Amino acid sequence: MSRFLKALAVLAPFLITANGATAQDADAGAKVFNKCKACHVVGEGAKHRVGPELNDLFGRTAGSAEGYKYSPAMTTAGEGGLVWNDESLHAYLVAPRSFVKGTKMAFAGLKKQEEIDNLLAFLKSYSSDAAAPQEEEAKPEEKSEAPAAAPEKKTEAEIPPPSAAPATAVATHGVFHLGRPATGDEIAAWDIDVRPDGQGLPDGRGTVAQGEVLYSDQCAACHGDFGEAIGRWPVLAGGLDTLTNDRPVKSIGSYWPYLSTVYDYIRRSMPFGDARSLSDDDVYALTAYVLYLNDIVTDEDFELSRDNFTAVDMPNKDGFIDDDRLSETHYADKAEPCMKDCRPGTAEITAHAAVLDVTPDGEDDGEGAPSIE
Amino acid sequence: MTKTSTRRGFMKGGLTAGAALATAGLVAPARAGGDPAITEIQDWNRYSGAGVDASPYGKPSDFEAHVMRRNVAWLTADPVSSVNFTPLHELDGIITPNGLCFERHHAGVAEVDPQQHRLMINGLVDTPLVFTMADLMRFPRENHIYFLECAANSGMEWRGAQLNGCQYTHGMVHCVMYTGVKLKHLLAEAGVKTAGKWVMPEGADASAMTRSIPLEKAMEDCLVAFKMNGEALRPEQGYPLRLVVPGWEGNMWVKWLRRLEVGDEPWHAREETSKYTDLLANGKARRFTWVMDVKSVITSPSPQMPITHGKGRTVLTGLAWSGAGKISRVDVSLDGGRNWVTARLDGPSLTKALHRFYHEFDWDGSELFLQSRAIDEAGFVQPTKQELRAVRGANSIYHNNGIQTWHVAKDGVVENVEIS
Repeated sequence: MSRFLKALAVLAPFLITANGATAQDADAGAKVFNKCKACHVVGEGAKHRVGPELNDLFGRTAGSAEGYKYSPAMTTAGEGGLVWNDESLHAYLVAPRSFVKGTKMAFAGLKKQEEIDNLLAFLKSYSSDAAAPQEEEAKPEEKSEAPAAAPEKKTEAEIPPPSAAPATAVATHGVFHLGRPATGDEIAAWDIDVRPDGQGLPDGRGTVAQGEVLYSDQCAACHGDFGEAIGRWPVLAGGLDTLTNDRPVKSIGSYWPYLSTVYDYIRRSMPFGDARSLSDDDVYALTAYVLYLNDIVTDEDFELSRDNFTAVDMPNKDGFIDDDRLSETHYADKAEPCMKDCRPGTAEITAHAAVLDVTPDGEDDGEGAPSIE
Repeated sequence: MTKTSTRRGFMKGGLTAGAALATAGLVAPARAGGDPAITEIQDWNRYSGAGVDASPYGKPSDFEAHVMRRNVAWLTADPVSSVNFTPLHELDGIITPNGLCFERHHAGVAEVDPQQHRLMINGLVDTPLVFTMADLMRFPRENHIYFLECAANSGMEWRGAQLNGCQYTHGMVHCVMYTGVKLKHLLAEAGVKTAGKWVMPEGADASAMTRSIPLEKAMEDCLVAFKMNGEALRPEQGYPLRLVVPGWEGNMWVKWLRRLEVGDEPWHAREETSKYTDLLANGKARRFTWVMDVKSVITSPSPQMPITHGKGRTVLTGLAWSGAGKISRVDVSLDGGRNWVTARLDGPSLTKALHRFYHEFDWDGSELFLQSRAIDEAGFVQPTKQELRAVRGANSIYHNNGIQTWHVAKDGVVENVEIS
């Protein structure tokens, strides 16, 4: 590799960072701003209308635009240190009325991260202070002076907000004020977990018959046509009433306590090697088909949906107990262990690993040995 | 592991090397002119070696090439959702080198771009938050040495001695120093609502691993770690971010950590219902068996570390650990548990970390049955396998911390056995 190429390789992460930082699109933001135009003006000669003008918004203390009548909540927020920057505007625009409780701004908020990013890029182009938007701590004089200059006479005409909540109106969350609020879309994209009580189940539906088609295509290669499993892939069906056997079969039907686990697991992890590729309907259909494979439902027309999901009882739902290891006598006693003549006679070998010989690269690898799965 | 490096081949190699050493040590005085290792000039004594630019990221000596993680191909359906084992028999001290820490992943090693990695906190919090890696670097950091043990470590041994080597019987454990941020700081940043009682970590890999952790534990000592032994986490250990759940089963230490959800109930994910529940003989299964119990193993002599020097001074060494805290004592037996002596603990004794013990003795060349028995600061004594089987049966899979027996034959060969 030439020195030049090496230098590029070292630079690559920084180049990516730079690209990421410029991903905001001010032109696209101008379109987003159409949603704001009814109340706000920005640009040369902009005046307050229903809302304050937005020139030099970045770095401005909340509630401090000269000549605009703010809500008490917004004024209080500014007095509490709220300064408009990337972070605070982001949080505000996601949900204005929860970020500053009592704000006059009736806008419901922007749900898409990209829209907010672009809008902020657009607004930045009218802010001379946008170069250092994060440095709210570096402007103490604005914090102490600007709000003091603003409030009283401007709030007189306002209708008192239902609840002015200065505690939640401060710009920063938590202790260190690190990170930023997650958007609704972001949470929706990742929060796909489902609980036994049905919390997290999405809209949708699927039948046993639909599930059978999906299963044959995408699942049977590993789990077998009847959920009996190929090789050491997990067994999905059968094994009912085998849990006390010498060799129990722990399938979904014989062992799993909750159907929600089936939906949640298929949705997040299956099919193996192509996770997150199934639709919510697909997952309902496959979950229904797994119930069918286990004779928990017997009708091929059975349709599973959020409405009937929690009504399905799994055969082994009462098969689990909480951890009681410490009640076992060898732990509960905490006895001082024996040091001398603890067992009678001399030790005799009762079993050899060498006889079973399942150590890797032995001649009969794994024959008859259990799986850890 | 290549097909040519069979265990027997490896064992023979080990014995041959050992025999050569023994020859050098014992027979040298009879050799006319002395030991050629001394009397002849060695290449490394004559010629210059590699320069500082030869190995910008250093690696072990070529003579240590046999020290590696090994897997057990028949154990799982596919190496992408499988496990390999730490070569405990080759290691000393309490720290596991990063490249030798056993691996267990459920959809292969995710290759996560740290610039694109995000950690989200959502659920029952005042402000759902998103952190970049750079954000996380601005929290106060802590350093802690903890062991991580898979709940299925020794799980193949419930029915009897199966695998010939402590790498395989006990190698799903490692111990490194983690650098990270206390989970409680991250949760406080989002503000846990009073109804929040559980935390669910989620991985960014294709298995999107989830577990339910009680809030109490999350607030006590869990870390969100980005370094191990001073350097960035290895990809197979969750780079760039993993959860550290000290003393609790390894499956909960979610790798490639991307999300923490706070809830009022546990989620009953696949890995805490179908897996990591412990089936008892009566057909009921224990769930939420989080703590790793007091445990120890003699790492040498062991099947992969036979005694090759013959009679005389012998160093026995091993590891002990407990999810309940520090190890207060380790006893060793040479006669299969009839008589015990207290071993010498050496090195730092840290809570929920591996502890190193030694017992030096003069071997008379007779058959030995080596056992070790750990006692932790809470007073729990490592049980025998028979005691565990009597209470739990043979189908629990997880949490087998029974006392291990190694049989040393008169020729120094060591085997994994069960005894009366």
